[in-house]
Amino acid sequence: MLNDYTADIAILILIYIALGASLNLLMGYAGQFSMAQAVFYGIGAYATGLLAVNLGWSPAFAIIGAVVVSFVSAGILALPAAKRVSGEYLILLTLAFQVVVNQLMNSMRGLTGGPYGFTVPWLTIGGKDFISPVDYLPIMVGGCLLVLLITWGLGESPFGRVLKGIREDERAVGSLGKNTTVAKLLVFGIASGMAGFIGGLAAYYYQFIAPGTYSLDLSIFVVSIIVLGGIGNLTGTIIGAIILGGLRPFLQNVDFIGDENSYPWQAIIYGLALILLMMFRPEGLLPEGVGISSLWKRRGGAGSARVIPPPAAAAPGGSPLATAPAATPVAARPDEIVRVEDIAKSFGGIYAVNGVNLALRENQITALIGPNGAGKTTIFNLITGTLTPDRGHVYLRGKEITGKPPDEVARMGMARSFQDTRLFRRLTVLQNVAMAVPHQPGENVVSLAVRPIYSRKMEEETRARAMGYLELVGMQDKANEPVANLGYGEQKVVAIARLLATESEVLLLDEPTSGIDPAVLDDMITLVLRLKALGRTICVVEHSLHVVERLADHVVFMEEGTVTAEGTIAELTGQQRLVEVYFGT
Amino acid sequence: MVDAQLVLQLLVSGIVIGSRYALVAVSFGIIYSTTRIFHLAHAGTYTMAAYAAIVVATMWGAPLWLGVIAGLVVATLVGALIEIGIYQPMRARSATKLAMFLASLGLSIVISSAMQIIFGPQNLSLQRVPNNTYFLGNITITSLNIAEIVVGWLAIGLLLLFLRRTQYGRAINAVRTNPEVAMAVGVSVNRIYLLVMMIGSFLVGIASLLFLMGNVAYPTMGLTPILIGFIAVFLGGTDNVPGAALGGFVLGLATSLSGIWLPGDFASVVVFGILFIVLIFRPQGLLGRAAV
Repeated sequence: MLNDYTADIAILILIYIALGASLNLLMGYAGQFSMAQAVFYGIGAYATGLLAVNLGWSPAFAIIGAVVVSFVSAGILALPAAKRVSGEYLILLTLAFQVVVNQLMNSMRGLTGGPYGFTVPWLTIGGKDFISPVDYLPIMVGGCLLVLLITWGLGESPFGRVLKGIREDERAVGSLGKNTTVAKLLVFGIASGMAGFIGGLAAYYYQFIAPGTYSLDLSIFVVSIIVLGGIGNLTGTIIGAIILGGLRPFLQNVDFIGDENSYPWQAIIYGLALILLMMFRPEGLLPEGVGISSLWKRRGGAGSARVIPPPAAAAPGGSPLATAPAATPVAARPDEIVRVEDIAKSFGGIYAVNGVNLALRENQITALIGPNGAGKTTIFNLITGTLTPDRGHVYLRGKEITGKPPDEVARMGMARSFQDTRLFRRLTVLQNVAMAVPHQPGENVVSLAVRPIYSRKMEEETRARAMGYLELVGMQDKANEPVANLGYGEQKVVAIARLLATESEVLLLDEPTSGIDPAVLDDMITLVLRLKALGRTICVVEHSLHVVERLADHVVFMEEGTVTAEGTIAELTGQQRLVEVYFGT
Repeated sequence: MVDAQLVLQLLVSGIVIGSRYALVAVSFGIIYSTTRIFHLAHAGTYTMAAYAAIVVATMWGAPLWLGVIAGLVVATLVGALIEIGIYQPMRARSATKLAMFLASLGLSIVISSAMQIIFGPQNLSLQRVPNNTYFLGNITITSLNIAEIVVGWLAIGLLLLFLRRTQYGRAINAVRTNPEVAMAVGVSVNRIYLLVMMIGSFLVGIASLLFLMGNVAYPTMGLTPILIGFIAVFLGGTDNVPGAALGGFVLGLATSLSGIWLPGDFASVVVFGILFIVLIFRPQGLLGRAAV
């Protein structure tokens, strides 16, 4: 059974599995997209070959060099796209990169040998030669396993959690203090670096490198593998690679097709597969989170079954809240935590906010009220850095934070919630809250690689902390439910727990009670008052004056982008004009 | 020293290539700005128009004008069939834009592979295309070059006129700006999408045939011009037709003029470099409005 013919096919399929898995890290976990997987595979092969042939590097160093080259080039390529959310830019950019670099491999004859390529010496380790497919197979198995291990390990780590968050709602991840740009660049670099690694291994196997191998067709082929198997499902990628990778050896043996036409026939089949899958089963054979056994089960709810991770271990060493920075004694702090001076923002010549001054005092609840369109949410966007003000200044504990990006503001201690919660709907309640916990070593790729055990231990602590916050808001029983299964009121509560988990001392709540059932309104009010009791400084945008009355120490009234009154709620409701503006007459 | 005559000659060919890219960009731009589909199968439409003309005019020996008509009819039909057979059912199932792009990607490779199986991987050409070369001093330009410039810009001009002056054109503009509102005022959005796919495919057919008269056809011939068309649309700002035309023209001019310093093989690097720099510094495109 295992002869050079079957081993050769097996090696090819292993290459496809590795290319598919690495691209799936990008597509499935991070929700990014690349049409350039083939060319990064090629960059790895060319770098390995050129380093080995021209500079005489040993195989190990040549392959490491190839990984570095593909990682760095991918990072640079992703730079313009990483700053933006739109997926089309990434498609365009990677598509163009694929075509252009592939052409360069053809054109730079002096370096690459042009269309006819160049040969690479076979692999020799410790005097043993690895030439025949049977001899080389174990090496490719090892390489493929390494790629699968890295992909799976990263995907299930806190870093992978951040990636999934980016896929679900990138802005929300930023609001929790995570730098999404760096995460996107990294995952792009890692996915391409792994492709480069496999390219290096393949170069030593085929001992020949030419541009035709790394064409757009291969990139499309790898995308088809992932789509067939199911985006976000590694088992699916393996199955997809076996099915599509086995096509050509099969077609070559079909009489009327023959060897020469087996390539275009293979392309027609996976092209058609891509069209039909996208039309009728976009989730692929195995949807995300579904194991292989579901393929055999009769209608076992392939779309709905999800693997739910076991509950986190109980919190070691008491309540996680005890260590939250804001819970430290109140003394010796200046009264004003946040100070906003003369801030303004216009859209298309119309001022949404114009010359607002605002101070949030320590451990107080400040309420922003006013009619619709008064600029309340814009204030939140301006002070958390979602929008950059046209003029004016924002200070947090005396430090200017004007114009800093939201993730940095959150790390400095001021975080906000959203009116429509912006939870990560496909993640569990616990994952949502755990994502917000700051200082997680497991979010750092280097730390994951260098100190895996420590990272894993800290991840347990992160989960315990997240569980603590869930207990605080009374949602611990739902910890392992996907957020999408929760009622709206429950989602609002989870959003508060997630906000709390950022351990920010200043919390900005955008309409925490809007849209929730009146029956649980009291619970929400109690919860916000508890945040205050925990020492947090709070600003809340709120419509209901009854809620404001029970919550706020200080009320700021806004109209048409400016503050027109402030004081206690009793003082404001005593002014007939404000009541008329507010309720309309 | 830069040779002045070389620069002038490259300028002339830059205008020719730029006009070609402008037409391709506009043909994709009208589709993308209306349907928001990253319609990569446009490359397949481009290819099939060329092969249809070759089948009729070269293989069957029919007159050239019949080949041209065949190419344009096939292009328009392919566009309509893609819309009716793939995009419309997907839209009805509320498929994501990524899913539609992936289906389009699959179709583009199906078409190029089918062409390879049917016609073989070799280059094919139209025969009997009349062509004259004119000399302006030492600079040359062919009658085909002139035709390409004139027909290309004429087609773009007519499209703009159609969009601005006719009822259907205004309906297209309404759908491009806001499909929900357009639907609310009684525009049949699906019919507009079909119309736009046919117009865009017809235009790319013209571009393909103009190219074919001076060049050859091969199964993957659509990829590079369509990719440059995409880039031109994003450079020009994704929601205006003149922007796409300008983007295409600038790219053609830039690739040609880069020949002053770079060997011809590196022209595509210039295109990519322009895209990369514009995306970093002016993500909304050269003529696009800044997004809030």
